[in-house]
Parts: sequence; structure tokens; C-alpha cells
Amino acid sequence: MNAPFFKFDMFSVDFSLVVAFIIGIGFGFALERGGFGNARILASQFYFTDMRVLKVMFSAIVTAMLGVFFFVAFGWLDLSLVYYTDTNLIPQIVGGLILGIGFVIGGYCPGTSCVSAATGRIDGVVYLLGVMAGIFVFGEIFPWISDFYYSTNMGRVFLPDYLGLSYGMVVFLVVLMAVGAFAAAEWGEKKMAAKKSGERK
Amino acid sequence: MKIIEFLQKIDLKIKLASLAILLGLIAFIISDPFDNLYAKINTKELAVMVQKEVDHVNVDELADWIIKGKSDYRLIDLRSEKEFNEYNIPGSENILITNLLDGQISRNEKIILYSDGGIHSAQAWFLLKAKDFKNVYILRGGLEEWRDKILFPKLASNATEIEKAKFEIASAISRYFGGTPQLMIGEQPTSVAIQSATPQVPKIQAPVGSSSSGAKKKKREGC
Repeated sequence: MNAPFFKFDMFSVDFSLVVAFIIGIGFGFALERGGFGNARILASQFYFTDMRVLKVMFSAIVTAMLGVFFFVAFGWLDLSLVYYTDTNLIPQIVGGLILGIGFVIGGYCPGTSCVSAATGRIDGVVYLLGVMAGIFVFGEIFPWISDFYYSTNMGRVFLPDYLGLSYGMVVFLVVLMAVGAFAAAEWGEKKMAAKKSGERK
Repeated sequence: MKIIEFLQKIDLKIKLASLAILLGLIAFIISDPFDNLYAKINTKELAVMVQKEVDHVNVDELADWIIKGKSDYRLIDLRSEKEFNEYNIPGSENILITNLLDGQISRNEKIILYSDGGIHSAQAWFLLKAKDFKNVYILRGGLEEWRDKILFPKLASNATEIEKAKFEIASAISRYFGGTPQLMIGEQPTSVAIQSATPQVPKIQAPVGSSSSGAKKKKREGC
């Protein structure tokens, strides 16, 4: 992710690595404190017994979204200098599926596997080796799949433009969706806990 | 006091959720965070810039950059699409002044504006400066000067040796861009190479820039 200050040449490429290092430590620390260095906690998401991942993710999304919206509104942030990837619909769906399958099999996503490996978990180290192998294979076969990789390019797509809604409207809808998801997650966790204690009896 | 007690009783997550909903509602009311219609300008700073002519680029500088293949700038043609399609400076993009702030150019880019003369680009320069674009330049004299100096350079019949030497260089540049150097006989220009009486703007087909809708040249950036 390239920050606006980098694009204004306020610091060099070398220094941007230092910034990335500091932000990366913060990110890893937050993930670890959230319990994301543990594959059991991550996997329990798929059994609806611990919806921590959903809660952390939605909290992050809502916080960042509200922050960016108001910073832009106050004129503190120039959104045109923030980097966005283009949308390549089908390749990104396929990529998402591959990542999801890897998540289910290994119990980590790439970021959390680094956290897990850093805290000394063997499964995290093995997963990280798998990630490296995957990167290597992807790099080697890229010439054969590059046509697919760049296919169905829709350019930079933003939800408000795509749906024909105002930015504020989308922000509000996402907040409602997040709060709804939180409530549903809490409710689901209670249900699953009741079911478990029922089984034990 | 009762309010504080009431607030203390509520769970933290309920408070945070309420705060998020409240901020979301405010966002809904603001509706569009981008303020593209209004701007504040520092009149003194702009006046000094205009006085010192720091934000000008000469046609021969630009020609030199194009020949050398420099690509650290974006050349914006502010004329209509029809005029743009008839002739444009190689590497230019067509963006109308009304679409200038629609997010096609960003504040960290080096932008060179040109139009027929200098008026339109000067006005566009002001708009961009007011919106805090840092590196905006005007092509001095615009397309008219580009035509006179780069495409159809002239040599007076009573020119000195130095002027003739300079004209040799100008002729080479002119031919690079598909123009015709002119020899003046009295008041009447005569082309040096092929005798075509009236200078015509050449139809350059090969390396013209993309129009605004076309694919933008973009560096791949990591995420």
C-alpha cells in the first residue's frame, strides 16, 4: 500500500521500507493480540463457535472507512493519491477461492501465518513454507496464465459509482451491515454454546 | 448524574456500535466527501508565481523532452476533441477544462497544459493551483507557438551565420515532428525541403497521445 506522503516524495523508497516495517509490526501485534496467531481460533470461525475473525475484520473495516471518509471530508486526506488495484472480476474470484481453500486446509491466511510463525508455532512455519512454495510456482507459471490474470479488467471500480449511490450512503449501509453482522455473530455464538453444553449433558 | 450512571451500565460494544452508527448517519448526511466545487487560494503566492513566470515551459524545451523520450510529465491538451483529433503534440492527452478535476490527474504528477494560445491553459493553471496541484506548467505560447517555432521554423533571407546554424537544428527538430522548415524570401515563406506554398499542419498518425477515455499509462504499484 502506498501512502499519499510517499507519492508526494516526502520520503524516499528506502525510508518507505522503514515505515512499512513499523506499520507491519503494529499490524502483526494487533493480529497476535486478537488471537489470530492460533489456527484453532481462526478455524472455529468456520464452525460458528467463535466469530472473532468476523468481528475484528468488520471493526477494522468500519474504523478505517469512517476515518477515511471524514479525513477526506475535512480535507486532510487526498484520496486520489491512495493506491487502488483494478478490478479483474473473474481472476479475483478464482484467486479468492484459492485463498479460501488454503485457509480451510491450513487454518491460516497469509498474514496470520506470519504472526503464527513469529510466535514459534510449528504449523505456522510449515504454512509459511507452503506460501513461499506457492509464490514460487505462481512466479514460474505466470507467463502461461498472465492472459487470464489480466482478463475481465473493469478498471478502478468503486461501490458508490457502481451502485449509483452517494459515498455517505454506502458508508452508512456498510456500518449497518457490520452492526447487523456483529449482532448475528453474538447470537450465533450463544446458540452454539448452548448446543455444546446441551451435548455435554 | 443519572445519564452518567446510565452510560456506565451500557456495554462497551453497544457504545462503540452506537458511535459507528452515529458517524455513519453523519456521513449519510454529508453524502459526498469530495469538495470539487469550491477552493481557497493564496492570492499573494499565486501572484508571485505569475510574476516570476516559474510555471512556464518553452516549446523547444518540450520538443527536447519528447525527442529524448522523457516520461516524467503528463501533457494535457485542453482543446475540443475534434481539434485534438486533427492535430496534437505527440504524447498528449485530451482533457477538457470542465473535466480537469474529475480525478484523471493527481496532485503529485507533473502536468503541462496547452491550448491554442495561452489563455485557456492559464485559466486551467489557476484552477489546478487553487486545488493545490503542485507541479502545473503552461506551455508558453501554446499550440500556435509550437506551430511557428517547432513545426514551421522560419529563416529570414538576411540571416546571420549564427541564425543559420540555429536554423539547421530547428529544421532537424521540425522534420522529427513532421513539420516543414520555412525560408523567408521577403515576406513570403518558402519551404526549404519541398516547395509547398502554404504551411499546413501535418497529419501525425504515429505517436499521438491517447484521448482521455483511452487506457492510461500507469506504473504498476505494489499493494
